[in-house]
Amino acid sequence: MNDDDDQRARFERARRMRNLALALVLGGLVVLFFVMTIVRLKGHAFDFGQ
Amino acid sequence: MATAASFAINPRVATVGDFFALLKPRVMSLVIFTGLAGIVVAPGSINPIVAFVALLCVAVGAGASGALNMAYDSDIDALMTRTATRPVPMGRIARGDALGFGWTLAVGSVTVMGLFVNLAAAALLAFSIAFYVGIYTLWLKRRTTQNIVIGGLAGALPPAIGWAAVTGGLTIAPLVLVLITFLWTPPHFWALALYRSEDYARARVPMLPVVKGKAETRRQILLYALVLFPAGLLPGAIGLAGPLYMAAAALFGGWLVWEAISVARETDAEHEPAARRLFGVSILYLFVLFAALIVERLMGLAPLGHAAFGAWM
Repeated sequence: MNDDDDQRARFERARRMRNLALALVLGGLVVLFFVMTIVRLKGHAFDFGQ
Repeated sequence: MATAASFAINPRVATVGDFFALLKPRVMSLVIFTGLAGIVVAPGSINPIVAFVALLCVAVGAGASGALNMAYDSDIDALMTRTATRPVPMGRIARGDALGFGWTLAVGSVTVMGLFVNLAAAALLAFSIAFYVGIYTLWLKRRTTQNIVIGGLAGALPPAIGWAAVTGGLTIAPLVLVLITFLWTPPHFWALALYRSEDYARARVPMLPVVKGKAETRRQILLYALVLFPAGLLPGAIGLAGPLYMAAAALFGGWLVWEAISVARETDAEHEPAARRLFGVSILYLFVLFAALIVERLMGLAPLGHAAFGAWM
């Protein structure tokens, strides 16, 4: 493996890890927004007809 | 898409760790801790999940400030030994990418705080980010010896943000905690500046030792330490803290003053051993004071006895 191949392998590994981290952050935000919506609604969501 | 040409242009590759480093994780940890103290000592109750989100927003907002600081100050960082290996001056992350990353996190953290916690906490968080980036980084840092004194307000605000997350407002009590961190900042950073003064001089950052000399810096450090000592006892005086906190504040405040006296009498201007000790003790001082506040409140030893995590939901 020459230097350029080595660089490419490092670049692609770093990119994979960045994409994975971004996916985890976005997934975490989805969960966070869902949980927070439930928490914030909890006091009022079941007030139908009152 | 990565091409052979792109490797030739930028052979350094940004890793997840590089982006994490942009957030200044060590600063972030102290900010989380003081923000937690604000949440815990505030009267009233808060849903633990809302408290977690508030702390997350404070952490991400602080990280955003760090990323923006590293982007705007990359020219300075490249000239200083302590900061030359940061991702932007090393070329692993482009300055524009760091700016985009920072502003995204800044806007995101304030928005989430406003939507899910309350507007007062969001406004304070926005103010602290704007102050750190606009007032400290872009304006004061390159212009005045008082840069870290005034700029220190941004780093001092997390207890007030935590308090506002619980109560929706502010009183004198969280401002006392802000005052302590505000007065703590100059002796902490000037201790660092004493043994890094050549770095700051090379980067033309007008830190106090560079502009006014080391003797004046030692004098100012001692003055601030002497003012910080009684300020550290104020939470007890206003009924926010009890005997455990007061004992910690007296003991560690005394230690900090003792080290500041050592700095004032330092004769080894080349290695600055006293300043290095003061830097470490100052971190310990702030950590112990806020830890005492938290422990005292959670153990029910604080005078007001508010159940910060009481009846939630």
